[in-house]
Amino acid sequence: VNSSSVFTVRYFRTTAVHRDDVVTVNTPAFAESVTEGDVRWEKAVGDTVAEDEVVCEIETDKTSVQVPAPAAGVIEALLVPDGGKVEGGTPLFKLRKTGAAPAKAKPAAAPPPPPPAAPEPVAAAAPPPAAAPIPTTMPPVPPVSTQPIDSKPVSAVKPAAAPAAAPPGEAVPTKGARSEHRVKMNRMRQRIAQRLKEAQNTCAMLTTFNEIDMSNIREMRTVHKDTFLKKHNLKLGFMSAFVKAAAFALQDQPVVNAVIDDTTKEIVYRDYVDISVAVATPRGLVVPVVRNVENMNFADIERAIYELGEKARKNELAIEDMDGGTFTISNGGVFGSLFGTPIINPPQSAILGMHAIFDRPVAVGGKIEVRPMMYVALTYDHRLIDGREAVTFLRKIKAAVEDPRVLLLDL
Amino acid sequence: MVLQSLKNCLWLSCILRTPKASFRSTASGGLIIQSVSNDVYQNLAVEDWIHDHMDLEKQQILFLWRNSPAVVIGRHQNPWQECNLRLLRQKNIKLARRRSGGGTVYHDLGNINLTFFTTRKKYQRMENLKLVVKALKALRPQLDVHVTDRYDILLDKEYKISGTAAKLGRTSAYHHCTLLCNADKFVLSSVLKSPYKGLKSNATPSVPALVKNLFEEDPSLTSEMLLDAIAKEYAAQHQIDHHVTLINPADETLLPGISNKTEELQTWEWVYGKTPKFSISTCLNMAYKDSVLDVKVNMDVKHGKIEVCNIDLPEQWLPPGLYGELVKSLTGSKFCPNETTTLVTTLLRVCPQDDELHSRWSLLCENMIMLM
Repeated sequence: VNSSSVFTVRYFRTTAVHRDDVVTVNTPAFAESVTEGDVRWEKAVGDTVAEDEVVCEIETDKTSVQVPAPAAGVIEALLVPDGGKVEGGTPLFKLRKTGAAPAKAKPAAAPPPPPPAAPEPVAAAAPPPAAAPIPTTMPPVPPVSTQPIDSKPVSAVKPAAAPAAAPPGEAVPTKGARSEHRVKMNRMRQRIAQRLKEAQNTCAMLTTFNEIDMSNIREMRTVHKDTFLKKHNLKLGFMSAFVKAAAFALQDQPVVNAVIDDTTKEIVYRDYVDISVAVATPRGLVVPVVRNVENMNFADIERAIYELGEKARKNELAIEDMDGGTFTISNGGVFGSLFGTPIINPPQSAILGMHAIFDRPVAVGGKIEVRPMMYVALTYDHRLIDGREAVTFLRKIKAAVEDPRVLLLDL
Repeated sequence: MVLQSLKNCLWLSCILRTPKASFRSTASGGLIIQSVSNDVYQNLAVEDWIHDHMDLEKQQILFLWRNSPAVVIGRHQNPWQECNLRLLRQKNIKLARRRSGGGTVYHDLGNINLTFFTTRKKYQRMENLKLVVKALKALRPQLDVHVTDRYDILLDKEYKISGTAAKLGRTSAYHHCTLLCNADKFVLSSVLKSPYKGLKSNATPSVPALVKNLFEEDPSLTSEMLLDAIAKEYAAQHQIDHHVTLINPADETLLPGISNKTEELQTWEWVYGKTPKFSISTCLNMAYKDSVLDVKVNMDVKHGKIEVCNIDLPEQWLPPGLYGELVKSLTGSKFCPNETTTLVTTLLRVCPQDDELHSRWSLLCENMIMLM
């Protein structure tokens, strides 16, 4: 009725083999007249363990019992397969004792911590490798800085801040230490790296820049945001202005919306505009698509972006949400980027990079004024798009964002 | 019953810092604490913390807690085998893996959880459950409740109202159990039904049972009343005051190190990665154009990651290079729908712009993702 028959693991009989320093550890006796249990291994053959570190757990009758190492050493053999049944006294494993115990941060009680390869799922958390090839812009969040709605994806974006910063070697210091540690690139990162290189190798990539005076858009927002919120139950951001401006410009310059089919050597012109909005997630870059933007107004666009943002946040983006796209917009502004060259997202021909808005003195009507300015960059495939077309395209975006009436009047 | 606020339990910290020394405390033999949080990870972390840090020689502890909707699987279980993960994600129900053994349960605020902390020597599940039954009978003498030798509590000899699990450490132990007061049985039965076919695993299986809420037997009962009755009985048996001390699992000063424990319980590596190795052998029935394709899929999943992946597609259904890429990408990646979606969309962008190809690819990948 009482478990006075339970022995604490350390003091029960460890069997025979004391030759060298190899010790065989047996299954502890079970409590409450339970007769058998299942073994679940935490450690494998060859693992070094500290004294009291959990080597395996035995599950008996809804109870989990940990079996710690009686001394520091190396696991020499596991005598029962994982999930195998044991009874009290069944030999479990062989431990070759060593003198020293490896320094283990964690106390014995809980199962041992996952190995330091934790960076796996978080693509950008490993500063060394792929940070270098990706210039600033890849990791941005779709809708612009100020939006709380979109602040959810931003929090997911946090690890991606790495690219802006460090050149590789600087990463892991302790003063004066000169060790390095290697982390295997995860599958996602390898794939993305490969694709980026392919894109660079196929397209003749060039970037043209311009700057946008955000005063009017800001003012429009200030004046109308409350009514907008009331009617559409959505926050009015800057993204809709850029997405709409891009769609407008794409219809004006259809070649930017087209793409070269390398297999057939044809130029494919599309009469619909699907805009991919780049979002960084801990798992890597995803680019959900807003479809048929040519038919949408600002409210429709804000709604579409919001819905995609929600899906991204809840990790519910489906394949069809991310397939396709004729043009990409990426926003490095969230991280405070001033200026930068985005990289084309194949199989497209161009990408617009938005950056942060900073107050700058500019010349307006012969006088110096301080205006909120944003640098924008268009990287394009020069095999398809000529310089003149690219510059005109970007200027159209600039015109439409600086004065939305341009859209209204189709200028 | 008197609820003491945190401020008054300074003596709780006394016990922590002077583990084996004598401590002057008003109580002896037992302590009753209740969590102010409904977060399953925080509450599980409190259990860990007490198990690791508190000396239970001189006094045992009863911990009372409730969670907002969550599915809790046992230490060595397979979540794919035990519950409907898609439904959980849809309904925003959390998934947690506890450190004790046993089967899968559904928690919501209509379910109360009791954890009995004792030294390993004084580990006594039957006594604990008898205490609960005694408390229930004291509250409502007409209730037909009894403890089975599987450590379940049955109502009317038929319906399970409580399940048990336990963990034995080196010097301390805990036994925890649930108690169904007024939980949502509809959600419970739908989330605890796994839709995943073809799973082969040696993970600990759950034993399904017919359940009933105490509320159905007696609508005047509430979770609060049950908690109170059990605390009262515990106090009586341990000869202590009927005081319940409130505990905030987010309080790092009271429970140093608790936030690390809470975090660890939420990591993918713990919740999914600790699943014992399993395999999937199933057939995708994909409706494509006018026909139905039967595609055999075999996968081995270890530590929650795909170790081996075989998809038996008709020849040339997908360009072989692409098929190879898919399998190569899946191997080694998490058995997780989000991760897989991101992976396959990235791959998709290197394919030629061919509608037929894209729709085949999407079809195949959507079906694969449904397995996760």
